[in-house]
Amino acid sequence: MRLLKFFVPVFLSIILIVLDTRFSYLDNFKRFTLTLLSPIYVIVDLPSQVIDWVNDKGADNDTLISENDYLKGQLVELKVRLQGYNNLALENLKMSKLLDSSYKIPNHDAKLAHVKSISQSRLSKKIIIGKGSNDGVALSQLVVGSEGAVGQIIQITPMYSTVRLLTDPTQHMPVKNSRNGIRGITKGIASSENGMIIEFVPLDSDVKVGDIFLTSGIGNLYPSGYLVGRVTSIDDTINASFLSISLQPTQNMNKLELVLIVKEKNE
Amino acid sequence: MNNTTHFFLLVKISIIAFIIGAISLPSFLELASPFWLLSFFIYWLIYSNGKSVFTSAFILGILLDVLQGGILGQNALALVLSSAFILNVKKSFFISNITTQQVYVFISTLIYLITFLLIHSLVHGFNIKWLILLSPITSAILWPLIRILLAKLKE
Repeated sequence: MRLLKFFVPVFLSIILIVLDTRFSYLDNFKRFTLTLLSPIYVIVDLPSQVIDWVNDKGADNDTLISENDYLKGQLVELKVRLQGYNNLALENLKMSKLLDSSYKIPNHDAKLAHVKSISQSRLSKKIIIGKGSNDGVALSQLVVGSEGAVGQIIQITPMYSTVRLLTDPTQHMPVKNSRNGIRGITKGIASSENGMIIEFVPLDSDVKVGDIFLTSGIGNLYPSGYLVGRVTSIDDTINASFLSISLQPTQNMNKLELVLIVKEKNE
Repeated sequence: MNNTTHFFLLVKISIIAFIIGAISLPSFLELASPFWLLSFFIYWLIYSNGKSVFTSAFILGILLDVLQGGILGQNALALVLSSAFILNVKKSFFISNITTQQVYVFISTLIYLITFLLIHSLVHGFNIKWLILLSPITSAILWPLIRILLAKLKE
C-alpha cells in the first residue's frame, strides 16, 4: 500500500511532465492555478510598494521641481527627434507610393508596466510585470524596455504577467541584421547572465562585429523593428554549416523598472 | 499533533516557502540558495504522522511548478522522491543530532537537485549554471536556522 502511495504521485508527475512539454492541454489548469496563487506576488511586492510610497511622500519640493524640469527637457528633446522621424515616415510613404509598394510602416500599441519581481526560478530568466489579462495583455506579446527588446509574455494572471527574457536559454526570437536584413534566430545562454547567440545564419553571410540585430516580425508573433542586440563576436569554426554569432542585448536586463508591452495595431 | 494541526502547519510553512522562493535575489544567491519548499517540507515531514506525505509533496510540487512557470511535474517529482528518502530515515532523523540531520538534508536536497536537473536537461538540453550545485550545501548549512524558525512557527 505504501509503495502504491509512492508510485502513484511519481507516475502522475511523469505523465504531467510529458503532457506539459509535448501538448498544451494543461495551459488552462496552469492559468487558473496561477491566478489562485497570484496573491503571493502581491505579498512579495509589498515591501517595495511601501518603500516607493515612503519615497514619494518623503521627496522634498526642490527635488520634485528639479526632476520635473529635467523630464520637461527630455520631453522637448524627444518631441524634436519625433519630428525628424515623422518626416522620415512621410518620405517613406511617398516613396512607397511611387514604387507602388504594399509596405507600410507598422503601427504599434504599447502598454506601460512596472517590473515587480525578477526571476523566481533558478534555471530560467524571467520577470513579473504588474499588468495582466485585466489590462488586455495577451500571451506571446513582445515586451520592450527603453533600450531594446526584453522578452515575451509566457504566463498571465488577471493582475500580473510573466515575461521570459531574451537571455533565457529556452527563448527564441526571429531577428534581422539592421544593415543588410540577414535573418537568424536568437537564443539565450545559460552560463552567461547577459549573453545571447544567433543561430541559423549561413557561413558566407555578411555579418560584422558591431552589427545591430532587430526583431524581424517573421511569423507575425512579434512586431518588427525593435532593437535586440549588438554582435560581439563571430566564429565560423564551431559549426560547419552556420556562423556562431554572439550577441550583447541592447537592453540591460538588470536595470529594468518600466517596460512596454507592444503589439501591432489591427488596421 | 492531530490531523488538522498538521494540515494547518503544512499550509503555513508552504505559503512561507512560496513567498521566500518568489523574492528577487541577485543571480548567484538565487542559484545557490536552498530549495526552500523542500527544506520546509522536511521539517513538516519529521513531525507528521506519515499520512498523505507523497500526496502533499505532489500537490505542493505542482503548485511550485505553476508559480515558477517551469515544467509541470518537475518540482512535484523531485519533492516526492526526496520525501521518500526522508520518510525512510525519519526515525533516525528525529533522534539524531543536528550534524546528522544536516547530512540527511544534504542527501535529500541532492536527490531533489539531480531529479530537477535531469528533467530540465531532458526537456531543454544540458544548459545549467554550475552555482546551482551549491544548493545542497547551503540547504544543509541553513538547516539549523530553518529548524529554529519553523519551531517558533509551530508553537
